[in-house]
Amino acid sequence: MLAYLVAVAIVIGIYALLTISLDLQYGFTGLVNFGQVAFYALGAYASALTALATHSVALGFVAAIVVAAIAALPIGALALRLREDYLAIVTLGFSEVVRLVLLNEEKLTGGGLGLTGIPRPFANLGPGAAEIAYLALVVACNIVVVLIVRRVTRSPFGRLIRAIRDNEVTVASLGKSPPAAKVKTLVLGAAIAGLAGALYAHYITFVTPDQYLPVVTFYVWMASILGGVSTLRGAIAGAAVLVLILEGTRFVRDFFPSILAVQMASVRLALVGLALVLFVLYRPQGVFGRALPR
Amino acid sequence: MFYLNLMVNGVVEGLIIGLAALALNLVFAVGRFPNAASGDFMTIGAYAGYSVQQLGSHSALVQGLAAVAASVAVSLASYALVFRHLVGRSMVAPLLASIGLGLFYRSIVSLLFGLDPLFFVMPPIHAYTVAGLRLQGTDLWLATLAAASVAIVLLLLHVTPIGREMRAVADNALLARASGIRSRRVMIALWSMVGAITGIAGLVVALRTTVNPELGWGLLLPAFAAAVLGGVGSPAGAILAGLLLGVMQELSTPWLGFSYKIALSFVVLTVVLLVRPQGLFGTAQVVR
Repeated sequence: MLAYLVAVAIVIGIYALLTISLDLQYGFTGLVNFGQVAFYALGAYASALTALATHSVALGFVAAIVVAAIAALPIGALALRLREDYLAIVTLGFSEVVRLVLLNEEKLTGGGLGLTGIPRPFANLGPGAAEIAYLALVVACNIVVVLIVRRVTRSPFGRLIRAIRDNEVTVASLGKSPPAAKVKTLVLGAAIAGLAGALYAHYITFVTPDQYLPVVTFYVWMASILGGVSTLRGAIAGAAVLVLILEGTRFVRDFFPSILAVQMASVRLALVGLALVLFVLYRPQGVFGRALPR
Repeated sequence: MFYLNLMVNGVVEGLIIGLAALALNLVFAVGRFPNAASGDFMTIGAYAGYSVQQLGSHSALVQGLAAVAASVAVSLASYALVFRHLVGRSMVAPLLASIGLGLFYRSIVSLLFGLDPLFFVMPPIHAYTVAGLRLQGTDLWLATLAAASVAIVLLLLHVTPIGREMRAVADNALLARASGIRSRRVMIALWSMVGAITGIAGLVVALRTTVNPELGWGLLLPAFAAAVLGGVGSPAGAILAGLLLGVMQELSTPWLGFSYKIALSFVVLTVVLLVRPQGLFGTAQVVR
């Protein structure tokens, strides 16, 4: 039981990082990123490949952050020129293209089978302790990221990106540069998502393109809206509620064993879709938070 | 000759993309948001056609009517229950809601029918060979069906009073209202039209390939690329761009391979948005 709770907590921590990343981009800056999973996937694969080649998990993490951040640069260049709805579709497309590349460039990425045997830190501590040590690592990453993001959002730069979200034209007319600020936020957010990818890859020790479907992005949006956008507290709480809902549906089968696993997965997705619609309709400010930026 | 055959294939594919792009474009022009659930309207139409066949009807007309009826019902329900209440909110709200709705429909379909692809049984139709060019009988039929639906939609938009009202709302909603156009009527007509288009498109895809829960969702990116390439607010542009994209996709397969088809749409979409955001036939918008 303890092992299961630790596993759930690790997944919550990873989703919390993704949600904070989205919150920084959408909640604080108003950038509609529907390609979150792309940076998560790039982080996971970059870390896996580096760690497999160098046997250093630390180098893998560095590679994950760097690769995801660099991948955000072209998206940043696009974000400067596109209205929010177009940016949403372009980023969604970008994430699908990234997945296609991971699926088809077999020599590098292992194709549909993915990469296996990714080294897991603390494995020599033995079962039980290893998981708890990994959870500590995830929590530590969350604390560092929250501190960094808080520092950023409470700085003059933070006021600038919130002002861009609320009225970009005014910001530009005051002589500030919205484009530079947008690219910085996208890159920082992508780096955080890359870190989350590395944490995930080294935790489950294998990566396949199937782990990085667009639905992961929708989960993160769900978590962000659940918690209320542009509050970090809400981001973490939203991630927790999301994972508990996703995990909780597993137990439904214990009571109704006649339901097939495939059917349960469909029910789970249907619930996520429905919840997304209902939240947008009736409670756009989320459980904790302020209203969606208009 | 190989390339000519690819082109024929591309034209049929392009008509499908064009229909999906038309559905996106109509909502985009009048409702002002990208409806990410429109692919899933197609999926529902396809499954409705399939169900009718499973129930024993082999009439293509009955299957088509079932597909259209199901998609229209879902489209109208989506408007009445969700999108209608999001008018005036930021564009992200209806977009997020449409993504949620799409996910919901897709999951319900896979819950009811499973994830495995299902096959429509079509009576074999004679294939023609014209000057070495092989034309599949089914493809000819489907292309005719798709082309006819496009023609009907364009006629409805440009000849009938409701079409004129729709274009007026698309042009300037406030002015349209001030001129006494009842927006409720226009929106119901719009979403019915979107339903009918997606129903036919879904059925055509289902007949050409297989019926699976991702049928429509998989077409969303090419459809969006075509809608943008054609120009938002230009129905004919959406169709032409769809045809262009379909042919380009097919002609690129010898080099890019089948698996990177979607990536081509993405490249087209990005380049058009950067170089000519108003599309080939659209009018320039001040905000982009």
